[in-house]
Amino acid sequence: MLALRNREKIAIEALYDMYSASLYGVISRIITDTATAEDVLQETFVKIWHSFSSYSTEKGRLFTWMVNIARNLAIDKIRSKDFKNQNKNQELENNVTFIDEQRNTVYKPELLGIKELVQTLKPEQKSILELVYFKGYTHVEAADELGIPLGTIKTRLRMAIQQLRKHFN
Amino acid sequence: MEDIKAYIESGILELYVMGDVTPDEKLQVEEMAAKHPAIKAELDEIERSMELFAEDMAVEPATHLRNKILNSILTNLGNDSSFASKDEIVKDNVVAIATPKTNIFYKYAFAARLASLLASIVALVSMYNKLQDTNTQLAAMQLDKQHFANQVNLVNGELQVFQDASFKFLKLQGTPHSPSSQLTVAWSPAKKKVWIDMHSIKMAENDHSHQYQLWALVGGKPVDLGVFDKTADTTADMKEMKSIASADAFAVTLEPRGGSASPTMDQMVVIGKF
Repeated sequence: MLALRNREKIAIEALYDMYSASLYGVISRIITDTATAEDVLQETFVKIWHSFSSYSTEKGRLFTWMVNIARNLAIDKIRSKDFKNQNKNQELENNVTFIDEQRNTVYKPELLGIKELVQTLKPEQKSILELVYFKGYTHVEAADELGIPLGTIKTRLRMAIQQLRKHFN
Repeated sequence: MEDIKAYIESGILELYVMGDVTPDEKLQVEEMAAKHPAIKAELDEIERSMELFAEDMAVEPATHLRNKILNSILTNLGNDSSFASKDEIVKDNVVAIATPKTNIFYKYAFAARLASLLASIVALVSMYNKLQDTNTQLAAMQLDKQHFANQVNLVNGELQVFQDASFKFLKLQGTPHSPSSQLTVAWSPAKKKVWIDMHSIKMAENDHSHQYQLWALVGGKPVDLGVFDKTADTTADMKEMKSIASADAFAVTLEPRGGSASPTMDQMVVIGKF
């Protein structure tokens, strides 16, 4: 931690080795395109490095701070004009394979865990977690999307996380 | 207490952890967490489970990304000291600074040259001294050689006298004035040469103001044949006198130094006739 503050090379290396997989797991579920997801991972670490002084242990866990940076960058990316245009302007010749890629149901071993895990959640808990955590909806937007009151959204999100806590304990 | 429980149950803490709160709400949650350990503990639990959740669905990024990302961070920082390729450049620079070494080399070279110069000077001086010695010796040798050459010439002349059949030898005997005196004269009428034998001379030594004078008597008249000295250190064996073609007798008188025009008869020491 001290090494990070002193901006030592070894600190960023250690940070990368410890957290890159967790962060990339979150990013790659928000952004399916590998190249873009990798770009976002890079931007995440650059931002972590540059704004490290704004983090303090009193405000919470380091990972919470980092994963929120990663999530925000990833969500910003999929909402940005560039990203949307990129998806719209695929060349005709590539369309067939592109669509195939988008709809592929290839077996991904790394997704096995979450599937199992998410199955312990009730469907309504799962959908709220997906909207807020992976799609970057605010709880207000999610309430609109799902057509349920704000309070219910909050309760469901809390229940979903309670469920996760149980699962891990 | 009730308030705290209600606050926890409201779901605001979950939204806080996910960053889905307004700045006002964020401040409020942090204040509450600072005040109430229960809220702090609940927040921590939520964070921990979200972290475990993320760990659970972790995806290892491609290995090449590690260097790419770490290098981009270090490059962006401009943190040159921890950038591998920059280090190598610095090392290269260090290698390039070789001038102090050559300076030391030149110092040694200069010292060596100075030493060799001194050695050369010493050698030169001693060589010069030896050359001087040799020159001196050579001059002495040449002098010796000249001396020997002269002597050889002289001896050759004397030898000719003995080898030449035309020479006649005449022993001049002492007069009543000096009965013990003797002198041998060699005369060649054909070659008109007269020699006296200084080796076998038996006469009193003359002083500095007098010299002996050789005379030839031709038809009763004395003819001067030159003067000579008889001293203790006389070394020459033979002495050539003035030439004369004919003579009846030879005589020697003691005369004042340089000789006289006519002989002083009462000072005659030797005389001999053919």
